[in-house]
Amino acid sequence: MFTRFEEYAATQMLGHIDSPPREQGKLFFSEDWQRTLFGLTLALSKEGHFEWEDFRQKLIQSIGNWENAAACQEQPPWDYYDRFFEALMDVLKAHKLLDLAELQGLLESRV
Amino acid sequence: MSNLFQYDKDREAASAAKVRALEALLIEKGVIGSDSVDTVLGHFESVAGPFNGARIVARAWVDADYKRRLIEDTPKAIAELDLPQGMDGAEGEHMIAVENTDTVHNLIICTLCSCYPWPILGLPPYWYKDPVFRARGVREPRAVLREFGVPLSDDVEVKVWDSSAQIRWFVVPKRPANSGHLSEEQLAALVTPEAMMGVALVPTPV
Repeated sequence: MFTRFEEYAATQMLGHIDSPPREQGKLFFSEDWQRTLFGLTLALSKEGHFEWEDFRQKLIQSIGNWENAAACQEQPPWDYYDRFFEALMDVLKAHKLLDLAELQGLLESRV
Repeated sequence: MSNLFQYDKDREAASAAKVRALEALLIEKGVIGSDSVDTVLGHFESVAGPFNGARIVARAWVDADYKRRLIEDTPKAIAELDLPQGMDGAEGEHMIAVENTDTVHNLIICTLCSCYPWPILGLPPYWYKDPVFRARGVREPRAVLREFGVPLSDDVEVKVWDSSAQIRWFVVPKRPANSGHLSEEQLAALVTPEAMMGVALVPTPV
């Protein structure tokens, strides 16, 4: 039993296909955006916007889609946190928390 | 295939921009607070993690009385240190420290699932749940340790401790040679989670 959501969430992933990269007992982020993305997802679930398991299933699905890409040429380079981003977008859309057009609009306005 | 693990900088910049925009949008819509990310990650970065175990081990190295208390009554000794609340058994389980010496080497495994003293060792490595590691750790611990780079002579007894939901073990590794000049904080920086699982030695400082 875990008394802290953070520990429950991370532990659910360990030993499974969606295990996050880690190094010497700590989460490993090679870029700052990866840290923000992980924290953002955890915070959203902790605050009750979606079940952690719902997000995990989207992540497992996204990793599976990458693995099952028909040919290497069609497969983007592997990046766990790219799959993580895709899964977060999927779960946000499923829970009507975000409209993809909104995000696209914001991105374009910042270019 | 050769490009599979190569990234161009534009790709990282694009990912960073997407995540920044997403965070800004969710904050603007009031879905999360502006400090939510740092708050949730703070748990891994400064509350529960291997830095706690390293502090406990370093204290045991510099204070023989503390080490004795740690081995005799681990939760009580951990509670003596100024660590975040719950480090002496956050999940209600009992913590037990075992000491590596010149004649005894301890190895921590979990044959049932993946019980692990999270609050003080952090996130377990990927192989901790691996059925082969778990089985071989019990059957041939010396061979497993040799493969981890921990060769032990025949006169060193190997003890294997099986963590469970009720008891979480961790190892107080041997203090390395030539470390007498180091402060407690510097000693703590030498201690890794793997050393506290018994699958690594603490290297001699250069």
